[in-house]
Amino acid sequence: MFNNYYIVKKEILGEYRNNTSLFIITPTMAVLVLVFPILSENRYIIDDNFFTITQLLFLIVFATLFSIRNPLSQKKLMRELNFGDIARKDFFISKTISEFVIFLPQAIILISLFSIFTNTGIQNHLIYFGISVIFFSVNSIMTNLFFQMFTSFESRFVQFILMVPILMSLSFLVAPIWLGINPNLTNIYLVMYLGITLLVFSFTNWFLQRDFK
Amino acid sequence: MSINYLSAKNLTLGYGNSIVIKNLALSLYDNKDYEVIGRNGAGKSTLLNFISNNFQGNKFDSKFEFKNLRILEISSEYTLIENLTLIENCLYLTKNSVSVDSVDKVLSDYGMNHFKEDLIQKFSSGMIKRSELAIAHLINPEILCIDEPLNYLDKDGSQLLIQLLEKRSNDTRSTILSSQESLNLFKSDYETINLNV
Repeated sequence: MFNNYYIVKKEILGEYRNNTSLFIITPTMAVLVLVFPILSENRYIIDDNFFTITQLLFLIVFATLFSIRNPLSQKKLMRELNFGDIARKDFFISKTISEFVIFLPQAIILISLFSIFTNTGIQNHLIYFGISVIFFSVNSIMTNLFFQMFTSFESRFVQFILMVPILMSLSFLVAPIWLGINPNLTNIYLVMYLGITLLVFSFTNWFLQRDFK
Repeated sequence: MSINYLSAKNLTLGYGNSIVIKNLALSLYDNKDYEVIGRNGAGKSTLLNFISNNFQGNKFDSKFEFKNLRILEISSEYTLIENLTLIENCLYLTKNSVSVDSVDKVLSDYGMNHFKEDLIQKFSSGMIKRSELAIAHLINPEILCIDEPLNYLDKDGSQLLIQLLEKRSNDTRSTILSSQESLNLFKSDYETINLNV
């Protein structure tokens, strides 16, 4: 039975009150999405594939901004967990849930806005598309948590530089699904993406929950 | 019956290659109160961090044994979460195990009830210290470590601290204080850990 709602509540409240949170990032990205087509060719309707690729680029930037928005300080976190006698395992399970709750809706909003403003439809079956967005979210969240705890960098710039290539490689996997390929190939890609997601999720969970003391 | 919750024969602590505490013999019991005394840089905060499991430096080849007791540290750096209100912090750090009424009462005792809906980022250092003392009161841990206990506290705040120490003493809970010299807060029979030698 999950009884660590107080951690999820704390994380979501913190996000809501964080000035550099996605509540700022998403509207900013949405403005970029709106301005981009005008800047690129001075009109709204451009080749669909071109926009799907650009959409991936926006998602990479979005996921990176998400990752560096609120760096975890290991020292502060250790104090917090010891002060509240909160188990590391409980904290990171709840943290993952709350990050997912924060990330997924905003990713969906961003993708929808992109589709609306650039007049591009989804290139594949909606279910495949939805599953791939969920996988992308889980991978981004776990990569973000792993990097924050592994590097303990305070510098957002360094995190940005390290994260972009990883998020790019994750996006390359999702690209064929979004670009609309043969349904059989989509299944293969999705299974591959599932495998990678499970691997990233289990490794990061193991890493985060092990005792550093 | 007392519990020896920490024993170490040659405790050496430091950061990187620099040693702050060298070969310290330590044996702490849950029925005794301690005061850690030392000049600036002697390692008082380092030792308190170590005792409360918050130490993140180098332990070299120290051999020590911990017993699992609830140890809470009020350090010179605050622990409360900045973008939560005081009441949210209280409920979060007590894992929702305390009723809102009890929290209200304790906050009222510590003169913080009027600020319970305010974000911690708007608090002064003294208010944060009072809030942490109030939460320590609520949690009532087996061991409470306070680094530089009088820092940031005004006269009323110091009185509240003394009341907390008195309550802990009545509950036979152990407290560890650290400062540059002996403070003799509430009582004078603290066992001294002198880091100046």
